[in-house]
Amino acid sequence: MKKLFFTILIFSSIIFSQEKSHLANDNLFSPTNIKRFADYLFCLKDYLRAANEYERILSLVQNDSIEFKIALSYLEMGNFSEASTRFNSIKKSSSFYKSAQAQSLKSVFQTGDIVQFRNQYLDINSNKAYLDSAGMASLYMFSFLLTEEPLPNEDEFIKTFPIAEKSKIKNFYDWKQDPLEKSPLKAAIFSAVIPGAGKIYANEYSDGIYAFIATLVAGYLAFDNFKAGHDFRGWIFCGLTAGFYAGNIYGSAAAVQIYNARIRFDFINELKAFLEDKNYFLQVFNFCN
Amino acid sequence: MDNNHFIFRITLAFILSFSFSTFAQTDWVKWGKADYTYQINNPVEQRNYSFDLSNPGRFLLKSFANAYWLFISDVDGDNCSFSPTCSNFFIQAVERTNIMQGSLMFFDRFTRDMNIFGKVNHYPRVPGGHFFDPPSLYILDSDSINYIPPSVVVKNE
Repeated sequence: MKKLFFTILIFSSIIFSQEKSHLANDNLFSPTNIKRFADYLFCLKDYLRAANEYERILSLVQNDSIEFKIALSYLEMGNFSEASTRFNSIKKSSSFYKSAQAQSLKSVFQTGDIVQFRNQYLDINSNKAYLDSAGMASLYMFSFLLTEEPLPNEDEFIKTFPIAEKSKIKNFYDWKQDPLEKSPLKAAIFSAVIPGAGKIYANEYSDGIYAFIATLVAGYLAFDNFKAGHDFRGWIFCGLTAGFYAGNIYGSAAAVQIYNARIRFDFINELKAFLEDKNYFLQVFNFCN
Repeated sequence: MDNNHFIFRITLAFILSFSFSTFAQTDWVKWGKADYTYQINNPVEQRNYSFDLSNPGRFLLKSFANAYWLFISDVDGDNCSFSPTCSNFFIQAVERTNIMQGSLMFFDRFTRDMNIFGKVNHYPRVPGGHFFDPPSLYILDSDSINYIPPSVVVKNE
């Protein structure tokens, strides 16, 4: 019995003992394994740690795809200036060079420094052999929508974009040319004629109605008090009426300015959403599938 | 029992008990549930009751505002739905512009404050729930307008 027990014990110990991992004989910190881990982090969108792991590989071996991924990690993290520097450091001999130049431009674009973006674009464009794609030309042209500069001619503007995007781009172009902003002066005049009308012109319907009622009620109370011989109260309501009336004229002009600011805000947001959706007219890199 | 064996056991027990007490948990504060509160995190606007002595007009205005806060507003409670409150808006408007423009801005604000229907989806809010509506939007300088959509909660006023 004892023999049987010990035999089973020994056999089961051997059978169920921990199997040695195939990695146990490997070096866990070899460039291949670090890259495997870094890629895993990259695909988890843990870009900060992925970049750190990729940096460790670079300290062991030089590799342009790793350099490119580090730059992409910084770009995804929103560290645009570092991303641009990293993309620019990729050598001309690399197969990633053209893409890196394009991504560098995208990084500069995303910093919001449109002037630097255009200078860098023109600089790269002067040597067309190194420029990747018409995408950059589209992005260059698109940058005019984001500044206060006059837009180029419509045909010249739209022809730089892919056919599928032309109608959307035309909408943006028309929106930029005629942003449907309203006139603060008109709003003030409307409110001077009919209290609250300027607010309604600025799409502030309920504010307009309240302004009308406030002015009307205060005016009626002033009239009624004067009529009843309560001059002091009459003057108080007279002052209030004047305040509501003049305040509404002023407020209507201010409301239109806010309306115009909202139009500009919405326009910029639409542009940014469109650019994000189209990946800034650049090639999409998918290292995770 | 062998004397040496006994001493060895005592020493071992002594060392063990010392090591246990030395490396044992040092956090002796009993954990418990946190105190909770149903109070809304709404820091009430701090009143600045100081007097502005830089010119007579400002002194007069601040005196009226202080009196209003002390005798009416503070007693009435935190009822203005805007941040800054209408009285604070008036003072800030006058400070940024002048008494005439500031008064017009105040009357406009007061009219908008009466509007009980149009505020909810119109103004962004501050963490306390008040509608954020600073005077900088109304000084008729388009560069000073920092448009914030209503869906945003403004953390830094």
